[in-house]
Amino acid sequence: MKWKNVARLISVDIKSGRLMRSREFRKYRENKFLTYLLYIGAVLVGIAVAVIVLSVYAATADASMRQVIYDGIMALFLSFPSLIFIYSLVLTLMGQLQRMGIKVSIQPPYWLPITWSEHTLASIIAILLGIPLASILLIGSIVAVLSIFLGQVQLALFTILASFASAFMASTTTEIFRVLQLRLVGAVYKSSGKAAVWVRFIGSMLFIVIFYLIWFSIASGMNSIAFIGAISSWQRLAWFIPYVWLGMALYSLSYGLLFDTLIFSIASIFFILLLFYIAVKLNTRYGLYEPPAITISRGVYSPKTGFLAKLGFSSLEAAIIRKDFKAFTRRKELMYIFIMPIVFVIVPLMQSFNAATTPSSAFSQLFLSAWVLLIPGPAMAVIMGDMILGEEGGAVWHFFSSPLSAGNLLKCKYAVVASFSFLVTAICSVIGIVIFQPSAKVIAASLIETIFLIIALTMISIESGIRGADFVEIPRPRMIKTWTAITSFILCSIVGLVILAPLLPHVATKIGLPISIVPPFDLYISLIASGLIASIITYIFYRLALKRAKDFLINAEA
Amino acid sequence: MGSSSGSAVKLSNVVKRYSDITALDNVNLDVRYGEIFGLLGPNGSGKSTTLKIILGLVKADSGFTNVLGIDAEENPVAVKQQVGYVPESPHLYEFLTGIEYLDFIGDIYGMEPTEKKERIAEYLQALDLEGREGDMIAGYSAGMKQKIAIISALIHKPKLLLLDEPLTGLDPRSARIIKDLLHELASKGVTVIMSTHILEIAQAMCHRIGIMLNGRILALGNMEELRQKAKLPGSDLEDIFLKLTGTEDIRDVVEALLK
Repeated sequence: MKWKNVARLISVDIKSGRLMRSREFRKYRENKFLTYLLYIGAVLVGIAVAVIVLSVYAATADASMRQVIYDGIMALFLSFPSLIFIYSLVLTLMGQLQRMGIKVSIQPPYWLPITWSEHTLASIIAILLGIPLASILLIGSIVAVLSIFLGQVQLALFTILASFASAFMASTTTEIFRVLQLRLVGAVYKSSGKAAVWVRFIGSMLFIVIFYLIWFSIASGMNSIAFIGAISSWQRLAWFIPYVWLGMALYSLSYGLLFDTLIFSIASIFFILLLFYIAVKLNTRYGLYEPPAITISRGVYSPKTGFLAKLGFSSLEAAIIRKDFKAFTRRKELMYIFIMPIVFVIVPLMQSFNAATTPSSAFSQLFLSAWVLLIPGPAMAVIMGDMILGEEGGAVWHFFSSPLSAGNLLKCKYAVVASFSFLVTAICSVIGIVIFQPSAKVIAASLIETIFLIIALTMISIESGIRGADFVEIPRPRMIKTWTAITSFILCSIVGLVILAPLLPHVATKIGLPISIVPPFDLYISLIASGLIASIITYIFYRLALKRAKDFLINAEA
Repeated sequence: MGSSSGSAVKLSNVVKRYSDITALDNVNLDVRYGEIFGLLGPNGSGKSTTLKIILGLVKADSGFTNVLGIDAEENPVAVKQQVGYVPESPHLYEFLTGIEYLDFIGDIYGMEPTEKKERIAEYLQALDLEGREGDMIAGYSAGMKQKIAIISALIHKPKLLLLDEPLTGLDPRSARIIKDLLHELASKGVTVIMSTHILEIAQAMCHRIGIMLNGRILALGNMEELRQKAKLPGSDLEDIFLKLTGTEDIRDVVEALLK
């Protein structure tokens, strides 16, 4: 292995981050100070945290309390490698996901005199740089400072060394996952027929659901100190898992078991070498693997009979609507829009399950059911409307070169966004009604308000989407300018509240809030008022959006 | 179809600036019905901007553009309905299959289902894409993508074809089919405006050629007229082009590179 090659490859690999960070590629200049500032900052924050912990420790007069703090610090020492492994694994996996999302991937320069070992090692190290390394430095500096004052320098040195080894182990595991993922996704693609598309879509949705379920159960069930303590004790129970051997070596060292320390250390080194060997072999086999094209249909082509035409859409509008429906179920970066409704359903469900043992208040029941019925659809409308034009990316030339009027453009995009939003509302409502069992009155009022919100917010977000459309696709599809997205979100939130305003007195009465300023009108009058507000806002933004669409089609390159 | 003094495309005193760069500087152009017109020029000379102005994709700062008897700025949708366009780098919807994409294009131009089906089948067969139409475009080679882009410009029987480097990436058989097809279409009255850097193709295919440099049309005419303009009797288009664009003294450059 030529180490200079590895160093050069790392240097190239870390520069790929520029594609994700920067959009100004002409006269590109990078501020190296900021790169190092991240690491310096991590060390300084780590030292500050350690000093605070030591100050608390020193100021504590109670011996039992001091013992609790001391035990906590020791648990941190012992769990540190496993902690670093978990953090590094998550961060490197996220880094790889981010890279997969960008259009420009980093292809191994296989035509150069570089071995797969060199390439693999460079890839493993490069993905660790940045946030993962800063995390190690942050916790490492805490450990180093604490060790000096607690007289555990030897243990601390071993801990820090083990942490770097753990991070390397995590990154190597990520590299293995990356290559296997490349291969497995290819295999899914290879399974021909329409099933392949649905397998991919449903697979992605399942992944998102499982990921968030795990995330929320961790986030809502455990605090960080309990988490560290759990790792510290868990790794002793799971000593047979090679990933915790470094932690076991530390544990043995802390109890003066030198033979055990040696055995676990050597075993860890062999395990890391084995992981690296597997990563190299997999890269050699699949590093340049090109997933085959998805074959969707081999049947006889027959033009669509025109269900959308019966709904009043022209052939041109129907074509764009069909294309957009395919885009949102086939394009990976667009599929992630479904995260939002899934999260909106999972969060209250987790809350509901956590609170299953305790009686819930009328307010929380009303809030949770309204949350699931009322929010996902309009939120979908806002997010999707913002990106509905920008998602065209470079292919937007079709719109410029097609006989497409501003009215056509607005009509078909509105139809797509509103349809998806209503679909999401329908699915979430069924879940919300089954789980929370709100009254018929609450269901009816929520659904009517949801319809008003979707009608108005779809138009507002589409107007923003046209105004701030960003068709840049490299390194990744941007779809909408950041500032426009923020202003659109704020505007939609305000308008949403304005539309809901006539119903707020009813909600206040229902949950027992004493509001005397505004008496609750009859519910029907409130709903009519809400509908009127939504209609007026929709019309105003329809005129604005139409003007934006006209300008957009005329000034294609402006 | 209306016409403007027998011209399929007429640009009069068209100026287009991008901040401090003048992309088109008082361009006058007159392309006749049934003509294959070649637009040549070095990189950044204004060819693509000219094509985009004709299609109404770019609004000229001043001047007048008439396409197929229609004011392109006044009524771009009507112009687009009758034009087939192949951009220099056609970004296709890669998540669609070839057949889905062509179906989409056919619907965009409001084609009848039966006619659309027949024409798609004909083109897929002619350009050797039969059997691959069910694959996602993401899995196509560059040449296959180019074929799909060309088919999408032709299936709705446009009266004007605007082609920016149309034969890039095509295999010899497909390139020949497209060349013959363009000649046939021109003989039936379809106007073709083609931008290319492959001078042999321009010389072989185009009835007239316009050579652009720095946003201006330097020379315009058939091969004989261009030879006269360049004062290079009997020479080919490459020599004419290099002389007119002032880039003929490449020998010094090559020798410098060999040192």
